[in-house]
This record gives sequence, structure tokens and C-alpha cells, in this order.
Amino acid sequence: MELEALKKKLDEQKYVYDETLATVLTVALKLGRPLLVEGAAGVGKTEIAKVMAAALDRDLVRLQCYEGLDESKALYEWNYQKQLLSIQVNMANTDSDTLTKSLFGDEYLLERPLLKSIRSEKPVVLLIDEIDKADEEFEAFLLELLSEMQVTIPEVGTIKAKSLPFVVLTSNRARPLSEALRRRCAYLHIPYPDLEKELSILRKKLPHVDDRLCVQVATAVQKLRSSEAILKKPSIAETLDWAAALDALGVRELTPDALRQTAGFILKNNEDFAVLEQEEEETKTCACGCGGHHHD
Amino acid sequence: MTDPGVYLMKLSAFSRMLHLEGLKVSPGETADAARILAELGFESREQVKTALSTIYAKSREEQAIFSRVFDGFFLSEEAMRKQAKALAQQDIETERAKEEIRESVEVHDLNEAQMDTYANMPRETREKLQKILDKYGHSERNPELYTNFIHSVFAKTLLEQQMRMEDASLGGEALDPDTGLMYRDIAKFKDTDIPKAISIIQTLTRQLNGELTAKRKRHGHSGKLDFRRTIRKGLETGGSLYRLKFRKKRNRRRQLVVLCDVSGSMIQFSEFALRFIQALNQASESSRVFLFSENMFEADAFSLENMDLFRNYVKDCGVYGKGTDLGTALERLCSMVPAALNPATTLIILSDTKTVEQHRAAQALLSAKRMAGRVLWLNPLPMGHWPLVSSVQTFQSICPMVSCNTLHSLAEACRKLTFS
Repeated sequence: MELEALKKKLDEQKYVYDETLATVLTVALKLGRPLLVEGAAGVGKTEIAKVMAAALDRDLVRLQCYEGLDESKALYEWNYQKQLLSIQVNMANTDSDTLTKSLFGDEYLLERPLLKSIRSEKPVVLLIDEIDKADEEFEAFLLELLSEMQVTIPEVGTIKAKSLPFVVLTSNRARPLSEALRRRCAYLHIPYPDLEKELSILRKKLPHVDDRLCVQVATAVQKLRSSEAILKKPSIAETLDWAAALDALGVRELTPDALRQTAGFILKNNEDFAVLEQEEEETKTCACGCGGHHHD
Repeated sequence: MTDPGVYLMKLSAFSRMLHLEGLKVSPGETADAARILAELGFESREQVKTALSTIYAKSREEQAIFSRVFDGFFLSEEAMRKQAKALAQQDIETERAKEEIRESVEVHDLNEAQMDTYANMPRETREKLQKILDKYGHSERNPELYTNFIHSVFAKTLLEQQMRMEDASLGGEALDPDTGLMYRDIAKFKDTDIPKAISIIQTLTRQLNGELTAKRKRHGHSGKLDFRRTIRKGLETGGSLYRLKFRKKRNRRRQLVVLCDVSGSMIQFSEFALRFIQALNQASESSRVFLFSENMFEADAFSLENMDLFRNYVKDCGVYGKGTDLGTALERLCSMVPAALNPATTLIILSDTKTVEQHRAAQALLSAKRMAGRVLWLNPLPMGHWPLVSSVQTFQSICPMVSCNTLHSLAEACRKLTFS
């Protein structure tokens, strides 16, 4: 897909993107490479896969990674109960070879997300979310799928992809990923959005919210993010929640009172609340005698 | 650039440059890059940069290196003009400086490299050197002594120049504000950098702990079959022992003894290094921390729990801002009853090696090495400065020493420490 065509599709999904993101997505699509997306929590890594699925008109197959995830949860599993039942039913059958062979047919195979994505007739978008949470063995196991677009099941053999999925891997860098995995992927790092981008997101996602309030919310979030004292930086989703909450409360201007009442939507730590209170105190006592209103 | 051969050659050279800068570039990636460039074209420089970065750079750190190499390799027309102008200006400056030195010193006294060094010196340094030459030069009494003196001055300046260049290259990655701090000298951190540095340390230790967990899981069982759990699991599959369960291996963790220099110049580094070591909760079974300057005392674990109060704690203990006596500290450590050091302990020394009574300290270090299972020295001095400090060479010959002047190298040292 050409760059301009992709941009058009992304626009149709009301997705806010910059040139870098559009170029990276085009490169990954053209090369058929998996896309490894890194960035802080809440910058919109997972959203990329969702939007790409909608933009390319494909199904989204999601694999959520966690510690202990293995191939039986990610790739396939045999339906043991059904196999055992089949053995009981066919006890009288003396042709053991045929019986054994029949036990490892499609009928007994439980497809998990990875297998589902490559056996799908129509290409899908495969989201492997938070790969850094999975164990290193699982990462190594993914290599065959990512480079060859095939998987090997010992009882069945190698299964090649019927259609090429667009693979998106996301990581919060809880642990460094292996070189082998990185080398097989196109790479994208998403930083927190700047004021302009955050404002565009607010305007597109919450068109009913007053524009002045959107500007104030975006400015306040940018300020919180740039503060070294804030431990948990607000994510884009939290910005949207906050703006929606303010709008639901009928707030038209972000006053210190409104900020205090709804701070729980944007700050999620006791320590961060303390920082906010401290900053509020400083604003109140500022030299201009404004009474604590917002300065531009 | 219409001829594909030309841009393929350029791309190949660019790949080699990236490889030289430490990026792992495979021919497959160069082929991908060629393919994508053929499709995207060269109209937009930024687009080409992003596309190539997606293919070649696989982490934020690599992106920073890529950006630097790309900007140096594929110059925009404006940048080329600027560079040519700057080079021409520099040539004129160099010639002028060489002319200056020719007037002051007999030409045969200086070789071409020394002339170049002089020409590249900052103006203030050149003026300083000129003053020395005016004062001591043209000495008729002992021409040989005069020549040796001039040569020694140039050798020293050349070394300083090299050191400055090394320090400057350390800041190369500082283009990226987030990763930049990782590569800056800890001693040069400003107060405003410290909260950011602490948050980087927290991220790095989380990563290290994550890696350790993964490593332990990888070597999860000791090879002995656990019959009870295997049979119980087998009940799910109608009594067939489909999945075997193994006994977990008992993890034997190392005991760490940290000897930490908290004299004035070392406090910043010690605080950061201790944050690393304390946060690596899986690295050791138990750890004891001893703080020293002129005296030594053991820091209690409770006080180290909250590292934000570390400086106040050190100041309250009365060891802050004093001189360094490593020999006494090590002797006291070795003579402790019950023994602090034994073959199961790893002794980590956090110090810049500057101490009084260097010989006594070396002897004490030898004794400590005999008592402890392993000794590792984390030195905050940049490695380029080591040849100039005699104490570094003395202690380096006794125990392994790692340069930890940046957060990146400190994290690497801790990784080596925990994974070995």
C-alpha cells in the first residue's frame, strides 16, 4: 500500500498520526515485516494494531503475553478430552495406526491466536501485546513465525501461512528483547504526544467537548508530563477520560477546584497528588496576586 | 540520483558506517533498505531518514546512533555549503596558527603532528603556550633541556586534547534527551538531572530484575522428576503421564559486601551505584554496605531503605566531606569478627582509587582478595583518564576494575555482576 493511500485510510479511522508513524507503517507493510512498537504505557501502541485492522479491513487477532505463556496458549493445543473419548469409542478398532493418525487431525486441534492468524484465508492483523512480559523461551519460539511465517507442530509438521498477517508487537521495555527478535522486526518508538498532537486527538475523539476546555486539558497534561516530580506520567487514554469527566460534570473552564475534584482521572499515585497540591500552593501564593488562576 | 548503481553504492557505504558505529547491520537489511528507497523515492529527506531508521535501528539507543550517522553521511545542500565554508575557515586558522608557532620555535623542534595539535588548540591554550615559550624559549644555556621541555608540554597538551575529545564523544548520544543522560558523566550531572537519573536507574533495575527472573525460569528445574506432581497432573489426561513435572532448583544467591567511598567527590556516584545494588533484590541473598572516608562504619539496612535520605544519613554519620583512607577501611573490614568476608562473598568497592597511603591500601586489598570469593572495583573515573592516575594502575593489577562513569556503564557493570 502506498503512503498516501495509507494516510487516507488512517484519516478515515479518525486516527491522529504524524509523518514518521505513517512512513514506518508503510515500510513495514511494503516489506511484510512485523512491526515492533516500543514506548511508555498509554502512548497508543496497542491502538496502532486496532487502527491498522480497521484501516486494512482485516480481522484483529490478539495475543496478550504474560509470564508463563507457552505454545499451548499461544499456538495450539490438542483437545485431550476429545482424544480420550475417541480412544474409548474406537476401542474395538484393531488398526492402531489409523486410530493414532486420526487422533492428530484438525478435529482435535484447538487453534490459538498464532495458528489462527496464519491459517486464516483472509490476511489478518496479529497483535502480540506486551511481548516483554513473556518469557525468553516464548520469544525464541516466535522467531520461526516472524521470519518464515510458518510454525511447526511436531505431530502435524510445518504449517505455512495461508495469508500473510500484518504483525504488531508491543513492548514497554520491562526487559530488553533479544537481538534476534529485534532484527526480524521494523522498529517504531512512540513518545508522548506534543501539545498540538494531543489537542488533535482530543478534538477528534471528543468532538462534543468545548474547544477551550480541550486546550486547557492538553496544556495541563503536557505540564504534568514534563514535571520530573510526577512519577506516573498521564497517558493519552487518561487525558481523554479526564476531558470526558470534566465535560460530564459540566465544567467549562479548568479551575483549581475542577482540577482537584477530577485529578483521580489523570494521577494514579499518592505521591503525585502530593506534588499537585504542592504546586497548587505555590500558584496560590504567586506574586501577581491573581488568586491562583491559570497563567498562559 | 537516477542511476540505481550510485545509490546502491552509497547505501552500502552507509551500512558499513552504521556497522562501524556498532549497529548490527546485515546484508538483508541493506537489501530491504534498497527496496524501500526504490519504492519511496528520494523527494523527502525526512521520509528517507525515517524509512531507513525503521529498517536499521532496532531500539531508541540505536535510533540515536542512526540519526547521528545519517546526518553526517547524507548532508543536505545547505549543510554541505556550511561545512565547506567552515572547513575553508578552519584551514586559514590552522595556517595562521602554524605560522605563529614557526615564528616562536625552531621548526625542526616540532614534528607535523605537534604542529597540527598546536593549530587545533583553543585560542586560550595557544596564548598560554606562547607565554611559556616567550618566557623560557630561546635559552642559549641548555638547548637540549629547552627542546625536551617543549616536547613534554606538547605531549601533555596532546593527551589532554584526546581526553577532551573522548569526553565529547560520550555526549554524542545526548541528542536524545531521554537516552542522553545514560551516556553522560555522572560527575557532571546537574541538580536538575538527578530526578531524571533516578527514574532511569529505576527503569534499568526493573529490566535487570526481569532478566534475572527470566534466567532463573530458563534453568527452572534441576533435572529431578517430581513424581507426586507428575501423577497429579496426569489425572487431567485420564492417568496418562502426558506432562512431566520437575523439581525446582534451589537458587543459591551470592552475599554482597559493598565498600562505598563517601568522600566529597564520590557521594553522587556512590548514591547512584547503591541505588542500583539495593534495587537488584534478586541479585544477592544478603548484602552489607560499609561507608568510608577517613573512618569506616556499617550502614544499617533500614537507613538504606529510603535512598532519598542517603545524603542526609551520610552527613549525620560524620564521614561526609573528609579525605579517603581505603587502607584503614579494608584493614578494618578484614579484621571484623565475625568475619564479613568469606569465600561466598563478593566484595564490591565503589571508589575512584584516590586514597592516602596507597601502598598500605594495596596490601589491604590483597588481604581482602584472599578472604573474599570475588572482588570487583567500580571506578567512576572515565577509562581514558586511567593511564594518568597511578593508583588506578596499582589497584587494577590486584583486582578487576570496571569503569562506571555513566549510568549506561554502571548498568552494564551490574548486569555483569549479577549474571556471572
